Amino acid sequence: MSDGLRESEGPESPAKPVPFRGGGFLPKPRRIVAPIVFIALIAFWEFGCRVGFISPLILPAPSEAFDAFMNLVRTGLLWDHLAASLQRLLIGWSAGTLLGIFVGTLIGLFSLARSGLQPLVSAIFPVPKIALLPLFVIWFGIGEGSKVATILFGTFFPTVIATYGGIDNVDRNLIRMGQSFGLSKLSIIRKIILPGALPAILSGARISAAIAIILLVAAEMIAAEYGVGAYILLAGSLMATDQLIAGVALLSLMGLVFAWLIGQAEKYFLKWR
Amino acid sequence: MNSMTRRSFKKAVIGSALALATLGASSLPAFAADKITVGALRFTSHAPSFVAYEKGYFTDEGLEVEFKFFQAAQPMAVAIASGDVDFGITAISGGLINLAEKGAVKVIGGGLQEEPGVNGQVILASKGAYDDGLTDPSKLKGRSFGITQAGSSFHYMAAKIAEKEGFSTADMKLVPLQKVGAIIGALKSGQVDAWSIVPHIGIPLAKGDAVVQIGMVADYIPDYQVTTVFTSTKNAEEKPDLVKRFLAAFSKGADDFNAALVDKTEGEDGANAMITLIHKYVYADQPIEKAAPSIQNGAMRMNKGAALNMTNITDQLDWFKAEGLVSKDIAIETLVNTSYVETF
Amino acid sequence: MDLNLRHISHHYDEVEVLRDINLDIRRGQIVCLIGPSGCGKSTLLRLIGGLERPTGGEVLQSGEVPEGCLNPLTYIFQDFALLPWRTVEANVSLVLEDHDLSAAAREAIIADVLARTKLADFRKAYPRQLSGGMKQRVAIARALSVRPAVLLMDEPLSALDSQTRELLMDDLVDLWEKEQYTAAYVTHNLNEAVRLGHRIVVLSRRPGEIREIVEIDMPLSDRRSDNSELEAIQKRLWNLMREEALAADRELLDV
Ligand SMILES: Nc1ncnc2c1ncn2[C@@H]1O[C@H](COP(=O)(O)OP(=O)(O)O)[C@@H](O)[C@H]1O
Ligand SMILES: [Mg+2]
Repeated sequence: MSDGLRESEGPESPAKPVPFRGGGFLPKPRRIVAPIVFIALIAFWEFGCRVGFISPLILPAPSEAFDAFMNLVRTGLLWDHLAASLQRLLIGWSAGTLLGIFVGTLIGLFSLARSGLQPLVSAIFPVPKIALLPLFVIWFGIGEGSKVATILFGTFFPTVIATYGGIDNVDRNLIRMGQSFGLSKLSIIRKIILPGALPAILSGARISAAIAIILLVAAEMIAAEYGVGAYILLAGSLMATDQLIAGVALLSLMGLVFAWLIGQAEKYFLKWR
Repeated sequence: MNSMTRRSFKKAVIGSALALATLGASSLPAFAADKITVGALRFTSHAPSFVAYEKGYFTDEGLEVEFKFFQAAQPMAVAIASGDVDFGITAISGGLINLAEKGAVKVIGGGLQEEPGVNGQVILASKGAYDDGLTDPSKLKGRSFGITQAGSSFHYMAAKIAEKEGFSTADMKLVPLQKVGAIIGALKSGQVDAWSIVPHIGIPLAKGDAVVQIGMVADYIPDYQVTTVFTSTKNAEEKPDLVKRFLAAFSKGADDFNAALVDKTEGEDGANAMITLIHKYVYADQPIEKAAPSIQNGAMRMNKGAALNMTNITDQLDWFKAEGLVSKDIAIETLVNTSYVETF
Repeated sequence: MDLNLRHISHHYDEVEVLRDINLDIRRGQIVCLIGPSGCGKSTLLRLIGGLERPTGGEVLQSGEVPEGCLNPLTYIFQDFALLPWRTVEANVSLVLEDHDLSAAAREAIIADVLARTKLADFRKAYPRQLSGGMKQRVAIARALSVRPAVLLMDEPLSALDSQTRELLMDDLVDLWEKEQYTAAYVTHNLNEAVRLGHRIVVLSRRPGEIREIVEIDMPLSDRRSDNSELEAIQKRLWNLMREEALAADRELLDV
């Protein structure tokens, strides 16, 4: 005790605070930074176009792109394009995701499916779906079929891989626990394996939603009168770069909305984390 | 690291000095062969350039030509706008007009033209549609028609056929399929009813079972200026000498081509020699026996002296405006520089 | 219900894990299994509960299964094995849902076992909100809800700090005083073994064989940590284990 007193009273050399060496390596989102970067970039871009060091051939001014967008709103074409695209995205993506979860579950659970389908999935996943477009046209026709199929195929494979990856990572002890309590196979799949794989399935959904939007332009190459992708393609072939930028901005907006929706789904379904 | 930066800085300085020097030199008469890049598709319709190259017409004009091959006309137009390619041949399209409006490209001469009586673009129907009564273009009303894209030459042809047959374009279902290959697939499988296309693609298709020829484009657009020669606005305005020399050599090539394959004044040997020459560039992956008919099929009339049919070009421009595909304010002078060739 | 292990031996590929184990687990007794780590205790427990098949020998069950028993052989795991996406009550409910029970009956069972494990206030909590001790109490509640004939516990207290372990050990003793459950209890903690075991089975290093079976007659409720008789037994067990552990250590070095 007396030792402790003496220690606090007077060391030989003068006391100084311990140097701080912690902190850092923990990037945190700062809400205001993103909008500032965004606005600054657009302002610079607009300025460049007005002053003239960005030629209209290289990039149209953001204001021109915005005009093109407002034109879409005024003529009401925006809703036609959005409705057509969203319908394709929704049908293609949800069918691709559901089928993907189903096949991914088969691969995750059954040796026969795993040996038979996994190599197939690995072989077909990297094939650019746009290369298969002519075949899709012959198989599914030039109507909605081939468009939905393109998106479906594009989203199916990443979902399969995310699903069986998620199932592989489900804690085997939880499955043993289920067996030890005599749970039926179906109960184990429904109540232990699928919920356990859900985080991986949802992050797969994030990726497949982005892929669906990427594929939208390809899907709408074939006989699409309306659709954001068709609008972009037409703008490209007409060299109407203002419309092109407006269309691309619309795509990234759709991407943001999808990402937000899946984020909400994650918040809801994974609130236990 | 530091020395690297300094070196690349030095390079940049020297580079820009050189650039300045060449800028000055280009306005002087050429004393050595000028290097130019010519964009081309591997189609018979691009043969005049190949002929001019093989027969040394470019060299005679003091031009050192390098070909750059494209899969489609659209990227070629963009490459000319960006200055990567100097001259090209393409159909008038909404994209080309909009590039001209941005001050990037100019049409300077004529290429292919329709001429009644001469081999020309054909109108095709799928077998199913044909059996169903689509036996000639007047019955196209209510039918689907394949196009690559709104604002393409296919779109223009469809509209002109409709106009002449007395119905509106809206009475047909135009199906944009982006690529010629996709349209062929759709036509063969009966997913579109009709299409119009250059003969070297159309005639072999019609020889097959799935497709039937039901007409000629020349009957609807007799003076159709199918393709044009174009260059960058910069070339057209700042290097008139270079442009003239290119057009001179190109026209000689076109004359030889017309003589050998269109007018057939050179006899069989002349035609065969021409086909052999073209075969180096077109269908080079096929044996000559197989390629020869396709090349012959593609032999449409080239404008003599690269003359340009302004009447039809104006009609095309007006049509694009009326369809709302290009701005209404574009003057014909924005699209065409008429100072190089005869117009009619 | 009694369990009889007859000439149990087990291999994983070339590795012989267990050799000729003969053991009876009699109704109302807690049998503790101790041995150096890697000697096959967990494996033996999995064989007893039918999660794995022994390479040789058999596990027999004899006698009546008690009235209302839903899952005769029920495990309690070292890592709790709770579903993190289910609340406390839903984790218990999980093992009842496959049985033919009315919603009311199920609810009654859940309320009962949560009350018995003092978890009634935490029904709606998720596992991540619970301390380790509480998680293991949920696992115990879940095990009790199926009215097991035999509890198979694999180091149930090893993941917990020593204070929590003491408290839970008292809970297990109290519970046995009330219900006289049958259990096979794997541990490497000798103090746990002498506090809970009616019989303590000492296994040798791998391949695990029974080296000795120690019986302790003293009632569970009388066993205090300062009891000298227990201390003597614990010391004896320690000496047995020490030899095995040292030998196992040397073998590992030889590999
Ligand atoms: N599934 C398995 N496959 C192969 N070897 C196993 C498996 N489970 C356990 N083992 C091996 O069997 C031996 C006994 O393991 P275990 O029963 O877990 O020991 P303990 O629980 O006594 O520490 C160890 O050497 C372990 O590596
Ligand atoms: Mg163990």
